[in-house]
Amino acid sequence: MDWDNLVKSLHPLEVKILLNFGPETALTATVLAQKLDFKVGQSNQSFSWLVGKELALESGRTSTTVYEITDLGRVHLAQGTPEENLLKALEKGPIPMAEAAGLLGLEQKDMGSAYGQLAKEGLLGLDETKRIVGKTHQPSLRMQTLRALLVRAAEAELDEGGLSPEEVIVLAGAAKKRGAATSAFKTSDRETVVYKLTAAAQEVSEVLKAKGVTGEEVNALTPALLASGAWKGRTFRAYNVQSPPSRLIIGRRNPYQEFILGVKDKLVSLGFEEFDGPLVETEFWNGDALFMPQFHAARDIHDVYYLKNPTHAKKIDEPWLSQVAAAHTDGGNTGSRGWQYNFDHDFTRRLVLRSQGTVLSAKQLTKAKVPGKYFGIVRCFRYDQVDATHGADFHQTEGIVLGKDVNLKTLLGLLKMFAMEVAGATEVKYVPGYFPFTEPSIEVHIKHPVLGWFELGGSGIFRPEVTQSLGIEVPVLAWGLGIDRMALMQLGLNDLRELFTNNLDSLRQRKRS
Amino acid sequence: MPKIEVKQQAFFHQANMKPTLGELADLLPVLKSEVDGSEGEGAATLLKLEFNDTNRPDLWSTAGAARGLRVYYQGWDPQYPFFSSVGKKQADGGRKVVVEAGLKNIRPYCSAFAVAGKVTDEVLVDLIQTQEKLCHNFGRKRRTFAMGVFRSPMVKFPVHYRAADPDTTKFVPLGMTESLSLREICKKHPKGLEYGYIAEAHPKFPLQQSDDGRILSFPPVINSADLGSVEVGDTELFIEITGTDLPAVTLAASIVACDLADLGFEILPVTVEYPYDTPFGREVTFPYQFQVPVDVELEYVNRLLGVNLIGDQAQKALKKAGVFSRYENGVLTVFPPPYRNDFLHPVDVIEDVMIGHGMENFEPETPSDATVGRLSAEELFGRQVRDLMIGMGFQEMIYNYLGSKKDFIDKMNISGHDVLQILNPMTENYEFVRNSVAPNLLETEAASAHAVYPHHLFEVGKIVRLDPTDNQGSVTRNSLGWLSAGADEGFNQANARVASLFYYLGVSRSDTPGESPKGVAGVRDYSVKESSDPRFIPGRAADLFVGGHKCGVFGEVNPQVLENWNIGVPATLGEVDLDSLLVK
Repeated sequence: MDWDNLVKSLHPLEVKILLNFGPETALTATVLAQKLDFKVGQSNQSFSWLVGKELALESGRTSTTVYEITDLGRVHLAQGTPEENLLKALEKGPIPMAEAAGLLGLEQKDMGSAYGQLAKEGLLGLDETKRIVGKTHQPSLRMQTLRALLVRAAEAELDEGGLSPEEVIVLAGAAKKRGAATSAFKTSDRETVVYKLTAAAQEVSEVLKAKGVTGEEVNALTPALLASGAWKGRTFRAYNVQSPPSRLIIGRRNPYQEFILGVKDKLVSLGFEEFDGPLVETEFWNGDALFMPQFHAARDIHDVYYLKNPTHAKKIDEPWLSQVAAAHTDGGNTGSRGWQYNFDHDFTRRLVLRSQGTVLSAKQLTKAKVPGKYFGIVRCFRYDQVDATHGADFHQTEGIVLGKDVNLKTLLGLLKMFAMEVAGATEVKYVPGYFPFTEPSIEVHIKHPVLGWFELGGSGIFRPEVTQSLGIEVPVLAWGLGIDRMALMQLGLNDLRELFTNNLDSLRQRKRS
Repeated sequence: MPKIEVKQQAFFHQANMKPTLGELADLLPVLKSEVDGSEGEGAATLLKLEFNDTNRPDLWSTAGAARGLRVYYQGWDPQYPFFSSVGKKQADGGRKVVVEAGLKNIRPYCSAFAVAGKVTDEVLVDLIQTQEKLCHNFGRKRRTFAMGVFRSPMVKFPVHYRAADPDTTKFVPLGMTESLSLREICKKHPKGLEYGYIAEAHPKFPLQQSDDGRILSFPPVINSADLGSVEVGDTELFIEITGTDLPAVTLAASIVACDLADLGFEILPVTVEYPYDTPFGREVTFPYQFQVPVDVELEYVNRLLGVNLIGDQAQKALKKAGVFSRYENGVLTVFPPPYRNDFLHPVDVIEDVMIGHGMENFEPETPSDATVGRLSAEELFGRQVRDLMIGMGFQEMIYNYLGSKKDFIDKMNISGHDVLQILNPMTENYEFVRNSVAPNLLETEAASAHAVYPHHLFEVGKIVRLDPTDNQGSVTRNSLGWLSAGADEGFNQANARVASLFYYLGVSRSDTPGESPKGVAGVRDYSVKESSDPRFIPGRAADLFVGGHKCGVFGEVNPQVLENWNIGVPATLGEVDLDSLLVK
């Protein structure tokens, strides 16, 4: 078996146990304290680790007696035992027996037992006038032992297994099982778990020896070690580099936003300049400027969101208003016969939430350069039931190309460029389409390596009624791309609502597209 | 976009072809159409066709779609000799409709014709579908025009088109057995409930009445049960169309007449006599060809298509698209077929040339104009801000902009006076446009109690605020909003983040409290002042000022707001108006 990773996962405390004991030794915290100077906590932790690695087993339980210092014991430790105080008081001369208890602040019975014990040990006596007389100032061995035990017990409870027979005898006289308030020690029986190392531990021990691991390796390289140079000549505890890492929560871009940034960068690289605009538009820009007749079905109250207050813009900029109105009415001077109806100047000021990105393409015409290429990835709102394929609001990718010499063939070339560069298409197909604001109109269908054939977008050449009303005399290619389908595919999603997810956990786990 | 159902067998028979479904899919694009599905098998197969061009209602029937294919792929040249036109009147056999003067301001126009032939089940089903599609999609749900079909032998000419009293005029409407007044029909009949409002806008209602007094119909609502229930086996039909737009009323009649002619019916013209002037005169015999020829220079066609067609090629292409033309001195003169009225501008001819010439014959060319690509200043600035927020450990979010009053106003502890409301929301869940990113951030926090803390979220996005001084009454702003949530979150952390963000954006912190820090020329400072924004804990929120203008706020979210959102951990929120920080 390969013990390498196991060996690397061993803590120095475990290493020391494995190197110092064989499988026959019954191991307890007490044993480790004696042999390896482990603290109780270190021992327990080590046993737990070793058992977890199947290097040690619980082999049984033994019952031992333990001694704890009591509150009275702490008083004795701090202020002396009655015996010590009596012996000390006698240094100044004999004390009448009758006054001794009062003088030392002891109860009569405690005074009696202290006197009796010390008299038995020959440290004092009684003279004829019933005065207590000290025979020596030197405490007895028993008293010295007791004091040492008090000191030790104040730090940690005393395990009988770790005591000498003499100490046990001394404690027997100073400890009680119950009602220990009158004793310096309280004694109780404690169950101790006994561990034994397994056969595997034996093998690991051999590996440790072969590798020269001692448990004395440097655990952490500290500034102090660096400053002192004490790291030199020492080895470092090796880690298991295959251990499972923990998960970090980091700051990240939103994957959908990142996808949009990527498309924007791509369009910029193809020579397009970005445009943007307000979410609230007038019917003028949202439809009229695009030569959509005011009675067009797509301009119904059930297709566009109107605003409650205010409902209308104060004014529409000239000369666009007059020129567009003329184009609708009778074509104006665009060469068209127009839609032949009375243009509604009130309706045109009506405020709506932008329903199509083409609005911004039209607006751009009023400030565009020739030649010029412009694009926007903009939020639009449409009166739709929200479901997997319709959002409350959504992105449209739109743009225009202005140029003296642009034509249908350059439009197809542009679409081909988008298909290849933006969508990664393998094949492209063009079919005639229909949009109220373009003539001719073309739909581009692409074959995507994953999604198969689908409609990538719509396009066309802006109608003269649109361009000339907005001051442009050259042909203008207009295009729109449906990128959300690609976004879903790249992000491994199938519901548009998930692009705008509220689920922080899933967002944190979503991989880069 | 209109969708129709056609019986495959009849459709292919009329188109004189038998393609597979796959082949049909390749044939339909020249009609801007596609197969949207099929039902049934064999002779009973029903095809669903979708049409993209809302200006080509002539295609929205079995006969119309079949004609389009047959003309394009087989060079068919259908003739419709029954049309009258300016200076050319077809014999009407005494069939007349007399229009009353009172209709001039109600529903002034009417077209009509009769047909003779065998009415089969197929013809009837298709005629009803054509009527519905035409009147719904092209007739704007019967507002612009509506059509009625009647049993011609029972009609006594002249038919009278009247402005009738809505309360004293009564008849039994189709689908009912009791006689109702016109007004009652609007209240009780299903079609009355749907279309009655069009008539009810005027004191008198339109009525078509046979010379013997029997009522044909109450347009645009319902036919009579008497003359209006056409059945299989009928041999003569009378068709009338009433409406507000004479070209549309005329075109609809032309489309139906051509369809029925294609099916072998004889078309019997009807003359309509008006007591007032119309664009086509006071006496018009229908079907009537009103379309005028359109001239377009071949050079314009070639320039826009990027090709060099000669006149003959362009004429051939147009013929495939069903359009007859002449070519002389560089000018194509195009004669629109009687069932089409979509040539608004010479440019509309160009698309037909394109389709007739075949898409496959246009080779894509890469645009050659060199232009400089560029992101907007707002986008570039937004990217800087995003990078800084991400560097501070924040997760970027992207949100929808519409929401409910509950989320955008009530839960936020704000009055909502500057939040934009939609007049015609589809549901109250999407009735408002957000005026802050904060509610979206809180909504995420409320939904993310199970995600490992702390949470740090942000969005750079748009918000809309009502602003009476603006021409449109509101302004759209680019806004940064962020939220941190966790047991240890508080004002001090938020304050430190604002300082770091602004420092790296080149806006340093001014020691001067209040709204107008003294700035050194060219150096921009920001200052803070205790905020009274109700979304935050009083005394633990600060308004941000740059150049003396408030540009943001941040602080500890008011526990009332947290409770409103059912959020169980402390949170800090901040929002900064990026447009006011952007140096253009």
